[in-house]
Amino acid sequence: MIKELLMAGFLALEDYIAKHVITCLIPAFLLAGAMVTFIDKTLIIKYLGSEANRLRSFSLASISSFLLAACSCTVIPVASGLYYTGASIGVAFIILWVAPAANILALIYTGAILGTKMVLSRIVSALLMAFIVGLVMVLIFERRPKESLLKAEAGEKSIIPKKYLILIILILLSLLSPNYLVRSGPYWHKVLVWAFFTFIMVIYAFTNIPKEKINDWLRETWWFIRLIFPLLLLGVFIVGIIGKILPEEWIKTWLGGKSLSASFFATLIGAVSYFATMTEAPFVDTLMKLGMGKGPALALLLTGPGISLPNWLAIAKVFGVKKTLAYIPTVIILGTLVGWFFGNFIF
Amino acid sequence: MEIIVAGPGCPRCITTENNVKKACEELGLEAKITHLTDVKLFPQLGIIFTPAVVINGQVVVSGKVPTVEELKEILSKFAK
Repeated sequence: MIKELLMAGFLALEDYIAKHVITCLIPAFLLAGAMVTFIDKTLIIKYLGSEANRLRSFSLASISSFLLAACSCTVIPVASGLYYTGASIGVAFIILWVAPAANILALIYTGAILGTKMVLSRIVSALLMAFIVGLVMVLIFERRPKESLLKAEAGEKSIIPKKYLILIILILLSLLSPNYLVRSGPYWHKVLVWAFFTFIMVIYAFTNIPKEKINDWLRETWWFIRLIFPLLLLGVFIVGIIGKILPEEWIKTWLGGKSLSASFFATLIGAVSYFATMTEAPFVDTLMKLGMGKGPALALLLTGPGISLPNWLAIAKVFGVKKTLAYIPTVIILGTLVGWFFGNFIF
Repeated sequence: MEIIVAGPGCPRCITTENNVKKACEELGLEAKITHLTDVKLFPQLGIIFTPAVVINGQVVVSGKVPTVEELKEILSKFAK
């Protein structure tokens, strides 16, 4: 019995990792490393802190969350830093929500495993939820706009110099083209496409980027690999075993179809348990193969990495219990509704 | 010299602290090194991105793990 379970775990590992390491994970980590190294985050945060217009600051917060680093360990200090230096509570919680629920690493991996439609739904619903969460937090806790301590001076340097932007676009190409251009055929087709674009990217990097910066970039990339890869391996392994243990009937009864209750259970599972970034995708994939509905799957994809028990505690410690008690139920209600809506009207 | 390493206690911050200690050791510097994990205090120090290193009240590293070499360069400026 134990041997069988271990085998299931290893099979899952072989399946997911072998098919994703070269064409998906490596470029994704390179991309994350490049964004951390080359994008001037301080400037983004300055703009965010000084932007008084709510609609504009909310949009800016949502979009920049895609670009800010992926691990939740960065996100809480950034959000609290913004809040305590004077940004709106809405902006802080939007970052707290979007960065883990829809960061670029997780989105890419979701696309590779679950397909384009699911990843688009994930982006749209994460943004939608972000705006509502921001609005709710502002309505409850902040009647008057705050005076910010941060000021963006006019004419300051740009967020990202052009030559780095080109590099990031090239990495994106090496990442997206194998997974989206090559839809069928054997795996080595993808590798070939990947190798071609990576070759161009490497040539560009070595001829246009200072050596020092390349070192910084590779060092940041290595950090992402060291932080996330072991968690991902472990996550996929556990997912393989869970898929073997869980009876299909349970999944079909509790998480199947597109009912409101299925969405609610999926949201609840996601809201309580901790998913390291990216592990939610294979987990959802396994559950879907066992009969989970698409709507509940989306709900789990969002709340799984978005919130977890340890993250409730961390938020409570930094922002206070009251704000946490407003934030978590809002996310749970929204997640349930989003899962139900997409399950019934979109998928 | 007073050095503060600030971070929420993540692996990157721990590496940063170790690098700071190593750099001080290699330079033979006497410094008081504290690891600050209370993120509420970060804005008062002018820190937004972690891990961050603050020397004598001045933020010298923010948002990345500095190498021992980089730290030695920064530290030797302050040691003068």
